[in-house]
Amino acid sequence: MAQLKPILLVEDNPKDLELTLTALDRSQLANDVVTARDGAEAIDWLKYRGVHHNRPEGDPAVVLLDLKLPKVDGLQVLEEIKRSPELRHIPVVMLTASKEERDLVRSYELGVNAFVVKPVDFREFFKAIQEVGMFWAILNEPHPPRPRDQPMKVSKA
Amino acid sequence: MTSGQMPSSAAADCAAEPIRTPGSIQPHGILLVLNDDLVLLHRSANADAILTEGKGSIDQILRAGGDLIRADLECSLPDDGTVTLRTLSIGDACWTVTAHRNDKAVILEFEETAANAGSLDTLYPQIRRSVEQMQATVGLEDLGQVVAAVIRDMTGFDRVLVYRFDEDWNGTVIAEDRNERLPSYLDLRFPAADIPAQARELYRLNRLRLIPDAGYIPVPIEGAGDLDLGFSVLRSVSPVHQEYMRNMGTQSSMSISIVEEGHLWGLIACHSAAPRRVPPHVRNACDFLGQIMAMLIGARVRSTETAERVVRHRIESRILGHMAAEQRFIEGLTLYPEDILSLVDAAGAAVIFGGECQLLGATPTEAQVMRLAGWLDARGHDDMPFHTTNLAGLFPEAAEYTALASGLLAISISQIHTSYVLWFRPEVMKTVKWSGDPKKDIHGGRINPRKSFDLWREQVRDHSLPWSPAVLDTVRSLTNAITGIVLRKAEEMAELTDELRRSNKELEAFSYSVSHDLRAPFRHIVGYAELLKEETADAAPRARRYLDTIIESAFSAGRLVDDLLHFSQMGRATLVPIPVDMNRLVDEVRRMLSQDMQGRNIVWKVSDLPKGHGDPSFLRAVWQNLLSNAIKYTRDRDPACITIRGDTTPESPIWTVQDNGVGFDMAYADKLFGVFQRLHRMEDYEGSGIGLANVRRIVERHNGHVWAEAAPDKGATFHFSLPAGKS
Repeated sequence: MAQLKPILLVEDNPKDLELTLTALDRSQLANDVVTARDGAEAIDWLKYRGVHHNRPEGDPAVVLLDLKLPKVDGLQVLEEIKRSPELRHIPVVMLTASKEERDLVRSYELGVNAFVVKPVDFREFFKAIQEVGMFWAILNEPHPPRPRDQPMKVSKA
Repeated sequence: MTSGQMPSSAAADCAAEPIRTPGSIQPHGILLVLNDDLVLLHRSANADAILTEGKGSIDQILRAGGDLIRADLECSLPDDGTVTLRTLSIGDACWTVTAHRNDKAVILEFEETAANAGSLDTLYPQIRRSVEQMQATVGLEDLGQVVAAVIRDMTGFDRVLVYRFDEDWNGTVIAEDRNERLPSYLDLRFPAADIPAQARELYRLNRLRLIPDAGYIPVPIEGAGDLDLGFSVLRSVSPVHQEYMRNMGTQSSMSISIVEEGHLWGLIACHSAAPRRVPPHVRNACDFLGQIMAMLIGARVRSTETAERVVRHRIESRILGHMAAEQRFIEGLTLYPEDILSLVDAAGAAVIFGGECQLLGATPTEAQVMRLAGWLDARGHDDMPFHTTNLAGLFPEAAEYTALASGLLAISISQIHTSYVLWFRPEVMKTVKWSGDPKKDIHGGRINPRKSFDLWREQVRDHSLPWSPAVLDTVRSLTNAITGIVLRKAEEMAELTDELRRSNKELEAFSYSVSHDLRAPFRHIVGYAELLKEETADAAPRARRYLDTIIESAFSAGRLVDDLLHFSQMGRATLVPIPVDMNRLVDEVRRMLSQDMQGRNIVWKVSDLPKGHGDPSFLRAVWQNLLSNAIKYTRDRDPACITIRGDTTPESPIWTVQDNGVGFDMAYADKLFGVFQRLHRMEDYEGSGIGLANVRRIVERHNGHVWAEAAPDKGATFHFSLPAGKS
């Protein structure tokens, strides 16, 4: 069975990170999760640069990308991914705290695949993360969902 | 004044005549032309005839007076004028000798005077008295009156006129002293053509002329036909002038020029029905009085002008005061028509500013004034204040309203927009006062006062009185004041706009950061509380209720933030107004709200609604708020009745939503549309209290109005109107 591609979660806020990971953990996804804490780190990981120049090869199944990030913000990361011939096929889901119209418009201009406003209601948030994960990490892959037989593997980028 | 305007050939002949070199003199004296050694060069043809036995010959004259004349000539003969040298007695005759220099020749003129004719000394007491009287007068007319009277008294003429030129050389008789032998000419007006330019110039140089008998036969100067007689006292006048005098019924005339600072201000014209000789010393006295008068006029004109400036400046200050006091500065002009008109002695004015045209006093119609403003726009503002006394001559359309606006004075009060203050003066014919009937045909002939009057009237047709230098200075100063105000307002406005832009930007940054940063903690509280609830599934019910309350509170705080952001976005978003089918919008919103209506018995009465003009997505939000309120506040009614209707008024359509719900007390109506204002308790009716604030914000951003009426428990009615769009 082919190795499942990991999910790249880019999130700077530790609380949001924990809540998102909890949501992912409770979903039926078997994918590993790689976390990056700012935009620069995410790009380094995606492009095998800096400390990641030796990481095992492979693109993520999906990038869950927070909009407001230190150093390089989410829109810039999105732009990098969609401009790069090697990376542009990777689905990117924007996770954002607000529904500011200009962010939405800019994201779609840059070629985002989905745009999720984090709901205040945790159950809705959970549902949204689950749906996003299902669609992009599983439906886009030729693999059926399968229950995890061990704890979700989370690694730092 | 061009010769083309002259109707008859007489005046044109006049203009072309060699008046300085007529080659002849009048017959009441002798003219001799001598060289500097007093050797006779030429003489007038009458010399021998006059110098008959007992009166001496030329040789005798030159012999007897030669040395004296030589001495006089050496010490006192000016280059540019005539001097009365002395009186010579030869035989039983007395000769008054007048001399002036002409090129290299000396011209002596001899007039026979009676031995007891008197001298300037004898006139002195009268002159002194008159000068005192002249100084005591107030107006120019009074001054003229005094001078006319004393000159008539000294000379014995039947009528003495004081005649004043305007800037176009039209003349007006401003004062007169006369007996019954000649008719009154007071207030009569004469066109410039009556006195040709070269004659005026001669009047200016040689201040005094005498024609003792208009029926005279000119006497040639032998061998010197082209001699310049500009300064001669005996110079023969134009035959046209002789005819003019006969037409006026005056056999004799004398005129004294009133020359003020080198400028021919007017004339003192003396006439008599019968021939009349005026001895040289009396003429000199008249000339002296004429000069005193000119000096007094100069002083008066300057002090009148100063007084005029003071008066106008006072009115201008009052206007500036009005402008400072009024809410809209321009109303400082338009609300005080007396001041704005009297500022420049206009009969009408128009203030064009901010796209509005206000008419004050007697003016052309608004449409005519706006076309005039368009014409001013097209010709540019380089020569502001623009002024003319003959608008129709420049702007042909003005011929339609010369009675109202022959004269125009215009100032531009904005560089960018069409903004003017315009003043109008009527045709001068409307402003002239007559004391006699000028049209009465007093005399026949080619040129006479009646024809002169008609000619003058022809000349001033479509003309207004001139705009004085003081008027022009005043409006210049007013222009500066107004443009200063306009400029300051514009600067204030620009500053305000900058301020607004800055604070808008700040607000945008603020709400952006609020939307990201303020929402997150609430989300975290809800998230962690949910997780805690799961971890403590078997905790006491009270603990679980506390957790639920935390979740609920954080959740509603989060929604509040969302609402607030939505409200601020609404204010910033750009509107794209188009015609909107309100029927369709209402249907959509009702479908959208169907969930809120489940299990309810609602009777809808929806009439056909007029179209609106606005941004459909914003208008949808208006309907959504109004309808969901109607549904919400009728929830304890069975049935609930909600009526939606529209009315078309002349100004704009009005849409109405009426319900039979709990209503509200009109005492709190002013709070109804405020942000986060609630008129009901939170536990009775949910909601953040921002819905109606959004409604008002949207409607007002469309330049519309929203209002409501209600009574507690009697239902509420909400109305909103939107301006009709341009079709």
